[in-house]
Amino acid sequence: MPSFFNTWLPFIYLYGVGGIFFVCGLVIVKKSGAYNPSNKRHRYWWKITIFGFFYFMMMHALLILAALYL
Amino acid sequence: MEVHHSLGTTTDWVVMVIYFIAIMIFGSYFSKYNRTTTDFFFGGRRFAWWLIAMSILATGVSSHSFIKYSAKGFEAGFSSTMTYMNDWFFVPFFIFGWLPIIVYTKIRSIPEYFERRFSALTRFLATLLLLFYMIGYVGIGFLTMGKAILPLLPPELTLLGVHFNVTLMGLIFVIGLIVGIYITYGGQTAVIFTDLVQGFMLLFAGLLIFVLGLDYLGGFKVFWNLLPTEWKLPLAHFNDPPGFNFVGIFWQDTVAGSVGFLFMNMGLVMRFMACKSVDEGRKAAIFNILFLVPLSAIVVGNAGWIGKAISSVNPSVITPNTNPDEIFVVVSNIISHPGVFGFIMASLAAALMSTVSTLLNATAAVYINDIHRPVKKWLTKKAQSWKEANEQELLSARIATVVLTFLSVLSVIPFSQFPTIYEAHGYFHSTLTPPLVTAIFLGVFWKRYTNAAVIGTLVGGVALMVLGMYYPRPLIQIFDHGTAFDPVHPYTYIGALYNLFVCSLFAVLATLTTKLQIQIVGKIEKQENHRLIMSTFIAASFLIFTLIVFDLASLPVLFILTFVMVALVVLAANYYIEYNHEKKIDGLTVWSINKAKEYFKGSKINDREGEKVKVNWKLKDGADDTVHFAKNDMKRMSAEVGDLVYICDVRRYFGGLKSVHSIYGEPHDEDSAVYISKEHLAQGQFGKGKMLTAEKEM
Repeated sequence: MPSFFNTWLPFIYLYGVGGIFFVCGLVIVKKSGAYNPSNKRHRYWWKITIFGFFYFMMMHALLILAALYL
Repeated sequence: MEVHHSLGTTTDWVVMVIYFIAIMIFGSYFSKYNRTTTDFFFGGRRFAWWLIAMSILATGVSSHSFIKYSAKGFEAGFSSTMTYMNDWFFVPFFIFGWLPIIVYTKIRSIPEYFERRFSALTRFLATLLLLFYMIGYVGIGFLTMGKAILPLLPPELTLLGVHFNVTLMGLIFVIGLIVGIYITYGGQTAVIFTDLVQGFMLLFAGLLIFVLGLDYLGGFKVFWNLLPTEWKLPLAHFNDPPGFNFVGIFWQDTVAGSVGFLFMNMGLVMRFMACKSVDEGRKAAIFNILFLVPLSAIVVGNAGWIGKAISSVNPSVITPNTNPDEIFVVVSNIISHPGVFGFIMASLAAALMSTVSTLLNATAAVYINDIHRPVKKWLTKKAQSWKEANEQELLSARIATVVLTFLSVLSVIPFSQFPTIYEAHGYFHSTLTPPLVTAIFLGVFWKRYTNAAVIGTLVGGVALMVLGMYYPRPLIQIFDHGTAFDPVHPYTYIGALYNLFVCSLFAVLATLTTKLQIQIVGKIEKQENHRLIMSTFIAASFLIFTLIVFDLASLPVLFILTFVMVALVVLAANYYIEYNHEKKIDGLTVWSINKAKEYFKGSKINDREGEKVKVNWKLKDGADDTVHFAKNDMKRMSAEVGDLVYICDVRRYFGGLKSVHSIYGEPHDEDSAVYISKEHLAQGQFGKGKMLTAEKEM
């Protein structure tokens, strides 16, 4: 069985540290007014942006589980 | 390490030659759409998202290349996909921040943004760094092409009675010549359309290898069971080995690479500038990163996985010590039939050509905008007509492309010293991108970031990066996350974290001390010999920089001197350069995007949502840049006189090729008719009797 350094640590680091950058991006574009919640298209892209983060997180988690248990 | 030669058959070569000729003819057809340098470089800001998404795919996939990911796939398994699945973290910054800014500010190059946001000196520094970056990037493209084609050629050739030894550098010179001809006559529109074809071809070719490889092995289940567990993991080991580890690649690729690719890769930025609107750019970016990029990860790396599986079941077919950079070609040759192998190789070479030509086109754009125009303005006083100037610039752009191609070929020499292309690319990214990445990123998102601070970032960042190269221990070691030290190529990837840190450190220090700097400069200005003091500061800075570059003192001394040098440079920047901070951030940071939008339009924004309308075009007499719609059509579009409009051929498969941007003029009463000028017709290449769709932009 591969070690924690090979399996979940890279995953936690990727979405932990990467997640900090991602959340900072959301906060900055919201606070600066670049994201305008009253604009329908902006609301659509905002949801897609958050969806994308979890889409990649799920994909990586499933691939690790498949490698370990399938 | 086993090296291959003379792979493939005559049929394969015939297929490759036909493919290349077809692509060149196809590309040259679109040169008629290059009426101005704007068309040559940016394709006239008219294309639909799907066309741009495929074009980005062709550029992005081949720049990260079949060769290097198959090599890592062969060495490490599915973790070769890592760098394709880590781009999402900077998407909010890009789609809500940088993308609207590059479109609305109408900048033509990254250095131009530096001048408008900071100063002419900053533009000069950015141009230097960017040209280094882009020439190096193209050089890596050439190296990849050379390594891909070399195994197909015999070790020696005799042509017209002349005997040649086939070498990597000789081959790269020939490739450079072909690419130079292709891009010089095509321009951006040619690149975008040939990318569309090549994007499909390379997706098909990559998936074909996977299917043929699985068939060769006996099915997916056999393939899956042949690979050890470590090989199936999507992320590499956290910090081992030094040549391929997760944490180093996170900082080199996920952070420096992603920001570099999205924010300062002129090839990519120009793709987005060629989009018809910001929203269309967002669609292209999101579709690309969510769907095309993960698919590409399989497409580019699977030859390595298949190669590993074959080598473990039958080491006599593929020996485990095969040169990793040749594994893609070797596997393709083993699993495919004559002709199919030629097609796969042609797709690979064409995809690489797409990347290289895109970047060469972008580098020529930087040359025209940031060297040719400013120098010409400075040297000549003669007034030229718009037509004369444009013709001259188009010629200069073509000459620049040829010269830059040659320089890129020369840049291959240092990169060829690395064991694999992957490592060469990794090292290149971690050393050349951090100063510019930090400067652009903070320039866009931190409104307090000043001109003096960006100069401090570039000068101080580069100085400490040079020290990091001389003294990886202890400077980079502090950031190594437990990665082992390789004395030949020390901290290839994690060096990016150190480089980003030192650039950011100077950025923050120089920004937060702005008031203090202004006070000190104010006091110096009151001195009688203030000019002498400032000249001394500049001379001392040059001296210190020289000491650092040539490593002429001990590390502690050079380290302290770097901070002294940055302080002197920052004070000199405040003294010499006129900089109005409030004016410089207006419309140029994420905090004032609405202003940028207003400047783009030239008047108040009309955000009311309207419909698209279908109209017939008719020619008008005047040559002004307005088009005239019926009052009822204007009402349906929620448009007013002076708003911006986008008119396009109704046939969607053109992807916006036949389209034009204009301004609403005074309306008339003839429903479903639009009056356009001869220039609009020439730009849009509208067909006689063909319907157009029109939509209000803003």
